Amino acid sequence: MSQRSPGQPAGGGARALEGVRIVDLSWVRAGPWGTRILGTLGAEVIKVEWPAPGSVHHNDRYTNTGRPEHIEPNLNNSHWFSEKNVNKLSVTLNLRNPRGRDLLKRLIAVSDVVIENFTSRVMQRWELGYEQLREIKEDIIYVSLSALGHTGRDHPFRTYGPSAQALSGMTFLSGLPGEPPAGWGWSYLDDTGGIYGAIAVMTALHHRHVTGRGQHVDLSQVGSGIALSGAAILDATVNGRAMRREGFPPGNRTHWPGTPRLDNYRGPMVAPHNAYRTAPGGYNDWCAIVCRDDEQWRALVAVMGDPEWARAPRFASNDGRIEHQEELDRGIEAWTQTLEKYELAERCQAAGVPAMPVQSNEDRVTRDPQLRHREMFTELPHAGLGPMGYQNLPFRASATETTSRRAAPLIGEHNREVLCGLLGLSEQELGEGYRDDSIWPEDLPVEPHLEAEAAAGSGAAS
Amino acid sequence: MTAGGALADLRVVELAGEQGQWCGRLLADLGADVIKIEPPGGAPEREVGPYYRDEPHPDRSLSFWHYNSGKRGITLDIESAEGADVLRRLVAGADVFLETLPPGRLAALGLGADELRGADPRLIYCSLTPFGQDGPWRDFRTTDLVQLAAGGQMAQCGYDEEDNPDAPPIAPGGGNAWHIGCHFALVAISAAIVYRDMSGEGQHLDVSIHEACSLTTESAIPTFFSTGRVVRRQTGRHSAWSMPRPRTQYLCKDGTYINAMFNQRISPERVRIFAEWMDEYGAADDLLDERYRDAQVVEESQEHIADVLHGFFPQITSEEACRGAQERGLPWGAVRSVDEILADPHWEDRGYWVDVEHPELDASFRYPGIWGLYSDSPLAITRRAPLVGEHTAEVLTELGLDAGEIESLRADGMI
Repeated sequence: MSQRSPGQPAGGGARALEGVRIVDLSWVRAGPWGTRILGTLGAEVIKVEWPAPGSVHHNDRYTNTGRPEHIEPNLNNSHWFSEKNVNKLSVTLNLRNPRGRDLLKRLIAVSDVVIENFTSRVMQRWELGYEQLREIKEDIIYVSLSALGHTGRDHPFRTYGPSAQALSGMTFLSGLPGEPPAGWGWSYLDDTGGIYGAIAVMTALHHRHVTGRGQHVDLSQVGSGIALSGAAILDATVNGRAMRREGFPPGNRTHWPGTPRLDNYRGPMVAPHNAYRTAPGGYNDWCAIVCRDDEQWRALVAVMGDPEWARAPRFASNDGRIEHQEELDRGIEAWTQTLEKYELAERCQAAGVPAMPVQSNEDRVTRDPQLRHREMFTELPHAGLGPMGYQNLPFRASATETTSRRAAPLIGEHNREVLCGLLGLSEQELGEGYRDDSIWPEDLPVEPHLEAEAAAGSGAAS
Repeated sequence: MTAGGALADLRVVELAGEQGQWCGRLLADLGADVIKIEPPGGAPEREVGPYYRDEPHPDRSLSFWHYNSGKRGITLDIESAEGADVLRRLVAGADVFLETLPPGRLAALGLGADELRGADPRLIYCSLTPFGQDGPWRDFRTTDLVQLAAGGQMAQCGYDEEDNPDAPPIAPGGGNAWHIGCHFALVAISAAIVYRDMSGEGQHLDVSIHEACSLTTESAIPTFFSTGRVVRRQTGRHSAWSMPRPRTQYLCKDGTYINAMFNQRISPERVRIFAEWMDEYGAADDLLDERYRDAQVVEESQEHIADVLHGFFPQITSEEACRGAQERGLPWGAVRSVDEILADPHWEDRGYWVDVEHPELDASFRYPGIWGLYSDSPLAITRRAPLVGEHTAEVLTELGLDAGEIESLRADGMI
């Protein structure tokens, strides 16, 4: 893996968000994903954590998804955690402790943005609602990212990605008709919610640049998801059509055979439009093929070797192909099963037919020539994990960086840099924070990399 | 005090098809003056259903309405020299140019990033394409489904083999490959706007929908990097390599489903909370037993607890299950369709819906949605999607063309 070159013609490796300081109170997935994007774009993201045993922050760093199996878990070796926290600083503060909260306020006073994804009333309980934040820093940009937003009768709802997806209508879109919803095999709305968080921060920064004013952006993860079903919503509000109906959702097709011919909100209603088994028949040996028009269909027929069945007049028109989709798909699959998925896609593409292999996570890292060419992955060192692959942002910018540069921080790695360097605490005051439960939990052993600063002023030091 | 949307001072020229129209819509929500350029006769996205009263018509595609509200629309033949010149002049007066043409096409017309940015270094020129501007797959053709195959979405969505051994990998509907690409295009544009505020410099953004989709698969790539494992599909819940995980989707009394989160870290306290609730229905089985106060026992009993939940939920509807759970602090959610979402008063409370006027039909219709509440620069849907060529004369007049020049373009079939 190589480092992605910092931009195309001009380059220069400038950072789009240079000089923007973000206090990141977010946790779990949605908020951290948003600040990961902002950090990769060059913002100074200060992640505030409280790693008391049993806390969400503690568990987050222990998440075992993506930890090499032979490694004994600790606070600094979850790759899952590291991947979603690249390009950030880590500071530990106890927000339930008056001294910890005071330090947070001092940090906010010298920052541009506060972002969090707690449930709707947590910040007010800590006396850190928007009005109080404005008293600390008048032009602060405050982005809250909760399940259903801070207003509306159900604002206290709590969700995880999967339940947010359920409430937004996203889960219902996925699956075969007459079967339980297949849903999304990951927290799509955590990803999406985080992206809206990043967009809110940057657009509010522009607004502040123009007007001099900060603001509160109250985002709802579920609300962001609902707007992704706009055509279906208009079908309901304009045409009065229900979404719970026979033939919906139509699997990978645009229309399920034998059901009323209604639009299913996935682009033009065409066939073929499906995933087909390929050789050698393994778990992810599938290829998606779509013909948008008769010309692409004729091209596919030619690629298939002009089989007898495909020449039948009932397949000549899109209408006929939709009508006889079961037979159409059986015919196509008899052919696709003779070819390997990349070979199959290449042949279709050479004839102008949209087709791509179903790619697993392994395929994308080891086989996908495009992601390799575009340097989508980069290897970064990490004191707890060793060298490991990380993802870059999915675009190149001619003047600014889009590459992940630093793996996640160790817990509290930047306590001294931020609390002493930025806020002016003395070494002794910092050391006291490790003993009065404001900077380090009293029931958690101090990590080795923090022992020196924790000992300052205790008599044990120097 | 408000000053319109956060991007109210910006003009965007959008030359985008199905891949990019959502990005332009979000920019319009944020207050930008978005001018959409369509070929003479109108964009192919106008031929995508469903339609108003199910009558196909270029001005009656509900999909087009949704993705293009808030924009102004002009028709222009950019393949002609005169049309290209008009586009060049339009972009010269804009802050952002968003385009989704095949790589190289605009450069061949003298409208590439180098040319247009050479004329105006402050221009943010965003190219949003299936695979980016270079690489072996650059010229491959895609659709939403095909992108979701390559991007990794399909490999993660589907059914447990024991539930449905013949099920294919599933691509969720709704056009989400395009949404994902548009979201990252908007990230790129927003960052470039902030950078331009600081530096005075625009730039060329080369956004790949394939990379955007691949990045939007949560733990799949980190899992491979750290464990070398391939994730597998599981009905209604996260894909994973450590199979099987307990079920999280349960059938309720009304034939709909509840997503009840239930994972390895569920606490004995949570088990007690829902066991007491289930006990009101006589459905707690043995879950109130002392031994479930031990986290280790809870972890080892996941399959059994899931079985008990399967017995409980058919006694109540998914909405009752959802509200009952939320009242008890459990982060569970009903699997709602658009039908239930529209009936949920919470969204009305939040001002989520916008009634958009359609004067040509003498009606107004309810649109989603105010996706965020900006306290000082509120989002808005200021107008319905443009009719074919609706703002051509208006925009060209703003550009300084006189009536004669506009008429001559029209006579030549350029607009």
